[in-house]
Amino acid sequence: MRHAALATGAAVVVGWPWAAPRYFVFLASLIAINAIVAIGLNLLSGYTNQLSFGHAGFLAIGAYAAAILTIRAPALPVPAALLLAGLVTAAVGLALGVPCLRLEGLYLAMATLAFGFVVVEAILNLDWLTRGNDGLRVPAARLGPWTLATDTARYYLVVTVAALLIVAAVNITRTRTGRALLAIRESEIAAQASGINLAAYKTLAFVVSAFYTGVAGGLFALVVGFLSPDSFDVFLSVDFVAMIIVGGLGSILGSVVGAALITTLNDSLAGFQNYRPLIFGAILIASMLFMPGGIARALGTIVRPARAAAPPEPPRQGEDR
Amino acid sequence: MTWAALVHVVISGLATGSIYALMAISLVIIYNATRTLNFAQGEMLMVSTFVGWTALQVLDVPLVGALLVAVVASALLGFVLERVVIRHAISATHFDVLIITLGLSLMLRSAAGVAWTHDEFPFPSFFGNRPLVVGPVRVAPVSLGIIGASLALMLALGALFRWTRLGRAMRAVAQNQRAARLMGISVERVYSSSWVIASVVGAVAGVLIAPVIFLSSKMGLVAINGFTAAVLGGFGSMPGAVLGGMLLGVLENLAPLYLPASIKHSVPFLTMITILIVRPGGVLGRVARRKV
Repeated sequence: MRHAALATGAAVVVGWPWAAPRYFVFLASLIAINAIVAIGLNLLSGYTNQLSFGHAGFLAIGAYAAAILTIRAPALPVPAALLLAGLVTAAVGLALGVPCLRLEGLYLAMATLAFGFVVVEAILNLDWLTRGNDGLRVPAARLGPWTLATDTARYYLVVTVAALLIVAAVNITRTRTGRALLAIRESEIAAQASGINLAAYKTLAFVVSAFYTGVAGGLFALVVGFLSPDSFDVFLSVDFVAMIIVGGLGSILGSVVGAALITTLNDSLAGFQNYRPLIFGAILIASMLFMPGGIARALGTIVRPARAAAPPEPPRQGEDR
Repeated sequence: MTWAALVHVVISGLATGSIYALMAISLVIIYNATRTLNFAQGEMLMVSTFVGWTALQVLDVPLVGALLVAVVASALLGFVLERVVIRHAISATHFDVLIITLGLSLMLRSAAGVAWTHDEFPFPSFFGNRPLVVGPVRVAPVSLGIIGASLALMLALGALFRWTRLGRAMRAVAQNQRAARLMGISVERVYSSSWVIASVVGAVAGVLIAPVIFLSSKMGLVAINGFTAAVLGGFGSMPGAVLGGMLLGVLENLAPLYLPASIKHSVPFLTMITILIVRPGGVLGRVARRKV
């Protein structure tokens, strides 16, 4: 059953460019990119309970890093550029994560929100590097003898990277590290009492999350081909949060499903700019009120009602505070 | 730079600061009651100001009438939102309620765009335009008016918290919800009143600031500076909110004089990050110790 589902999924993903029109290939690439960000954000927010409203900032850093690398060093193969973009973003994540250790909940949300704004302002002001408001055109990426010039070629690149990162994330969550992160989410004090190094694991979550988002940013630069600061505003961060809320906090599969849903929704509402946030807000509220745990838990209870299939609930905050 | 010009900059900074302080106060009122951050505060301010403006245009009421309409509309909006949406998530985590208010803010802004378009509209002011000249110092009456009105409102709120039954109940709930409930305080009523009072404060701030920054669906963004002000002063503390707002307003107006002009928009965020890193409890606040 499980293997069959996986095989069908893989077949659909591989066969997609032959079955779908060109635009939908591009859309599928965007979904895969957003899924990487959603997984990264979920490792931080869903697993470790550290809210972030600044992931558009990380995405921007990864995107600009990859774009500038591709422009300055055209011979650099794509995997190296993506890896470097991820590492640069992870370094920024480390720089942000360490001071943020002192913050929790609300304060962390505000600090990351501010971080997102500062990144956009920085891009605007560093115009010798980023060309500011004029935007940056990203040349086609090179992989050995090939140039990734078509939507299909870029789609396969994105999907391969996404698959690797998904497998990595699933493995992370099943190891000692993943259990430590979950323990921190359930109760920081209990986790600490069990010998979990809070500071180290929280910083690790920040760094890994930033790395994922940075790699996704690099892919975003290659797929979209043009970067400007206004594509990374705070509403993009909200979109990412919406993906993991709707998909399910603390679920890798949920992140992917949430990314697919929100990206498709955004795309189909593109013609109704005025109503988009209205529908979006309604979905956020409804999923919080009626489907806490997201699609992942809702599916879990339908498919396997008897067993505790879904990830454990995030701690509820009762009367005592 | 002459000292007279400096006085001018500081006073206009205090005027913007008063608005930030009012925003911070309304955020803190809701935070103290329900321990959640209301992301929709700015949008509630924007919607109620628009309602006041509509009364001004359609019913041709005087400006005071528009203020009253805005206040009543916002009280109603706050009451309904709390009752219909927030109350259902009463046992949810901060994260959940935060997301819900985020959704509300998206919906309110979009709805305002549909109802009133996303254009900017001029809004009449209570105060004249001719600068007051005191010796070498020139001061805009708008600035003085905003400062005066905000201070009056803050004093009224202070009196409400200190001397009324409701104010005492609100302070009790802020300290310990369970103990307050055991003393016979209706915590639900405190939730309701907190949302209503916070919305009213927001509506007044909206009517005061709209002549300066224009009325538009974007004006809710002023709430972000309110967050910063509240964080600056130590989230949860009323005097801290006032101090934080004033400080931020002055900083924001002074920074472009000494730093590149493009930094002005980043000032609130850079200030917030710095404060959170250096002194996470804010200037006046303490970091709460949690008992296990």
